[in-house]
Amino acid sequence: MFEFLQRGLPIKRWGTKWSLWPVHLVTACCGVELAHAYACGYDAERLGSLNYGICRQTNLIIVEGAITRKMARVLKMTWEQMPNPKFVVVMGACGIKGGIFWNSYHMVRPWEVVPVQYFIPGCPPTPEALLNAIVSLQKKIDGKEEVCRFEKFEIENVEGKVRRCPPLRKFVVENPAVVPNVERERDEFADFLEEVLNTKVYTIGEKTFYAFVDDLKSSAKSLKDTGFDHVKCVNVIDVPHEDEFVVEFTISSYSKFRDVLVTIAKRVDREDPKVDSLIEIFPSSDYMEREMHEFFGVEFVGNPWMGRNFLLDESTPKYPLRKDFKIEQESLLEERKFLQDFDDNPPEVPEDLVRDALSRDEFVLVVGPQHPGSGHMRLIVKLEGDVIREVIPDPGYVHRGVEKIAENRLYIQNIPLVERPCITDFANYDLCYVRAIENALKIDVPERAKFIRTILAELCRIGTHLYDAGILAVFLGHTTGFMWAFGLREFVCEALAMMTGARVTGSFIVPGGIRRDVSDETLRKVKRLISSMRERIGKFEKVFVKNPTVVARLRDVGVLDRDRAIELGLVGPFLRASNVEFDLRSVKKYEAYDEVDWDVVVGEEGDSYARLLVRVEEVNQSMRIVEQLIERVPKGEIRCDLWCLSDVVLPLGEHVSMVEGSRGTIYMSIVSDGESNVPYRFRMVTPCWYILKGFMEACKGYRLADLQAIYGSFGYFPPEADR
Amino acid sequence: MLDVPIAQGLIEFVARIPILNILVERDVFAVLIAPGLVSLLTFLGFIVWFERKITARIQWRIGPKEVSPYLGGILQVLADMIRYLYQEVIVHRDAHKKYFIQLPILSIIPVLLALTLVPAGKVYAFRSEFAIPSMVALISLIPLFVIAIGWSANNRFAFVGLIRESFMCIAYEIPLLISVLSMLVIYQSGDAITVVEKQTIPGALINPLAFLTFLISTVMATGRLPFDIPEADQEIAFGPYVEYSGIMFGLVMVLAYEKLYLLSLLMVVLFFSGWKGFYIATLGDLSPVLTLLLKALIVMCVIVVTRAVYARYRIDQALKIGWSFLLGLAFSSLILSVVMVWLS
Repeated sequence: MFEFLQRGLPIKRWGTKWSLWPVHLVTACCGVELAHAYACGYDAERLGSLNYGICRQTNLIIVEGAITRKMARVLKMTWEQMPNPKFVVVMGACGIKGGIFWNSYHMVRPWEVVPVQYFIPGCPPTPEALLNAIVSLQKKIDGKEEVCRFEKFEIENVEGKVRRCPPLRKFVVENPAVVPNVERERDEFADFLEEVLNTKVYTIGEKTFYAFVDDLKSSAKSLKDTGFDHVKCVNVIDVPHEDEFVVEFTISSYSKFRDVLVTIAKRVDREDPKVDSLIEIFPSSDYMEREMHEFFGVEFVGNPWMGRNFLLDESTPKYPLRKDFKIEQESLLEERKFLQDFDDNPPEVPEDLVRDALSRDEFVLVVGPQHPGSGHMRLIVKLEGDVIREVIPDPGYVHRGVEKIAENRLYIQNIPLVERPCITDFANYDLCYVRAIENALKIDVPERAKFIRTILAELCRIGTHLYDAGILAVFLGHTTGFMWAFGLREFVCEALAMMTGARVTGSFIVPGGIRRDVSDETLRKVKRLISSMRERIGKFEKVFVKNPTVVARLRDVGVLDRDRAIELGLVGPFLRASNVEFDLRSVKKYEAYDEVDWDVVVGEEGDSYARLLVRVEEVNQSMRIVEQLIERVPKGEIRCDLWCLSDVVLPLGEHVSMVEGSRGTIYMSIVSDGESNVPYRFRMVTPCWYILKGFMEACKGYRLADLQAIYGSFGYFPPEADR
Repeated sequence: MLDVPIAQGLIEFVARIPILNILVERDVFAVLIAPGLVSLLTFLGFIVWFERKITARIQWRIGPKEVSPYLGGILQVLADMIRYLYQEVIVHRDAHKKYFIQLPILSIIPVLLALTLVPAGKVYAFRSEFAIPSMVALISLIPLFVIAIGWSANNRFAFVGLIRESFMCIAYEIPLLISVLSMLVIYQSGDAITVVEKQTIPGALINPLAFLTFLISTVMATGRLPFDIPEADQEIAFGPYVEYSGIMFGLVMVLAYEKLYLLSLLMVVLFFSGWKGFYIATLGDLSPVLTLLLKALIVMCVIVVTRAVYARYRIDQALKIGWSFLLGLAFSSLILSVVMVWLS
């Protein structure tokens, strides 16, 4: 009789049930599938659920997977700002027990921060699973909760082939030898570099050189004078048993020596690690130096950001990537507390960053992480009137510590891990990692596997470019552009699902080939899907790319000219939009790219519109490549033996690999001690991490409304940048 | 008393009930039922649903449906409204509390006052030479409330939003006023009934320039894309409305739609010959009311489609359009009107 007193009036329940509006709080990579669920493929608006921007006006939080220490503060704050009644749904395995990142140093479980109504398992869960969660939540509000009951069920043993898992035993050597500069197949170019650097230069791989130098600054300067123009990677290798850090700067060039990587390294004492910063010579090394400072405590003298957190939360253990900081090892019984040293204070704007702005009557606006026009990052925008003076990035809200986790897993187990930073672009990440292993072990890949790997990589490129275009559209307020782009992405997801079995995160590429053969019938279906995409992409161009309002918003906005783009170390389509013809696919000709006919797309203006157009044209080129590859795919074996791959040990030294991902260069380097079957140090620099500096510089001098246009035009995807 | 031949029995029955009998008086009916309060609320519900549905169709999807599968999900708006009604209203610590709570409620006043001035045939509350000018004046009060709302929220995004709103409202208000003025010059009256009676051909054909100015100004004034600038959600998080929750947000969110309803009615009166058109004798007094509402509905439906087609302009681009193209168009429409009056 008094039921309504306890559970509210029936009409209140009815209204709440049919109006579950999730707040726009994108926390990690499951957001891709969330976007699919709310886009035209699945259309969660049917259920009365409308994705809405502001926490004050919504009543549902969908936690998309991994919650880091930094993001946990935001989650708590968002939840507290929401009016009652409010609900929380957690997507993904990361939100339940940590998933693939369960032993990371930067992860928190969302159910320890806010009360959760519903969990969706999966990594990532499909959009159907999310819709099911919303329906189940509606039933729960109605009081008709569905309870899963487990029954004991006997399965008959079927006679036949016995399938066993390969033995995944870790073997870690204590106090191993760490020699990154192992000479292999000496290149003549090394002699030239020896003249430039006045020191011994080793060839550690194809067109990859390594040298220990005494003075990093002067060596970098002489390299710059020779024609090298940007830093590809800053890496630190911790060698505690020799009481030293090896600090490496990997330098490359877009103009003169196009496919050469030169690493200059220096050994520093572990007690007081200090090296010179290279930001005056190569501004592109700035953010990577900050990152290494945070991970290892190495001080880069000259970088103004030292002594401050960039990616990591304050509560994170200090210097987590040092070897003496151990993360938990695999054990099924172990139960850990995530929140031992976590306080739930909301994130604050560091006062010293904005002090001068306040004194100069500038307006400071904090955009993100819970903001309809930002992803999972915070931008501190200093405004003078409507004009942006400076943007200070605050990334790391999705930093899940891939590098540290990778040091604790077998080489083969790292394949699913390395693709998690950008699940839409999984094939390129897998390819980069797998190629490092293949080059180290000199494994030949059969032709058919090469073709299929290239098809996967190009499909991912189409998918990622469409994703970025959709996000750009929604940032400009053009919802139709968003919906159509995601509708087109459904084709790509369908093709990937047919080939690999997963819409995103295929983990399909393994050292020596691919996991399973893909039948010719499937490839023909993929080709049909691609040809049916063509016409719809034309429509999409008409309604979004050539829309006068879109052109007005993007043209002459966020201009980075050629020299500036090179100096800031931009990569991929964003570099090519600034009139630099550099594409690793054509420079290195890896996999099956030399077998097909395609063009490198180059833009001229370097503005936001050029960045959009380059990617639109690249989608067309990628479709061309896929169609040609499917026609020419040779018959043959795809060699793959997971059993023997489970115990791979890489030879001693550093193994570097680069591929052209969809947003640009993906750089991975594996330092192996030659004995353990886990990497000694795994370093991964993603395209978005390269782009970040350019993105921040491009915003200066434009208007507040342009921030979103520039953000979208760079396709900045925070999980990819934060790793 | 209303004269509706088909439902005369019902009207006479209502007229005998002591308090309800005022409802069937023409002037009270005009203010409270149609084209007044009740039709305003109905239209609000309908247009929000229609907007979501038509946008969904353009975007290759279905839109709200499961809440009432056989009615095309039209109950969705009701569900959202009920949810807002029962949600907690948060007044945050930094707000100017009195104004923060009062302003959304007060903002309905100019809308309701303007509604009393809209006639439909013989169903009207006032007949005045200043009906249309006063209506325009009341409509231009609404941005003032939006600005005050943004100020009372005391939030950085709300502040940016109110600045944008105040820039925008001057940019569209002047062309809007001039286009109305140029029509009034032609009709030589400010009385809505006289204006409609004088339109032998629709006003949009008499002075197309004024119509175009009025249409673009309406799109700007009601915050439709591509001029969704003051409450641009991806840029400044709904600007002035960022801190409102629960039913308070419901009140401020419908403000733009209320304005859209008023401006559509005004547009029909000025440019589409008001309630003229078809006349059904059995409906009596209700026939012009329905004609007026139907025309207004069509206008509203056309305007909401822009959401699915355009991206958002930047504030400086929108101001440029307002102060150069739109203002030029407005003045040329005025000149056209003056010339026409002078020639005739």
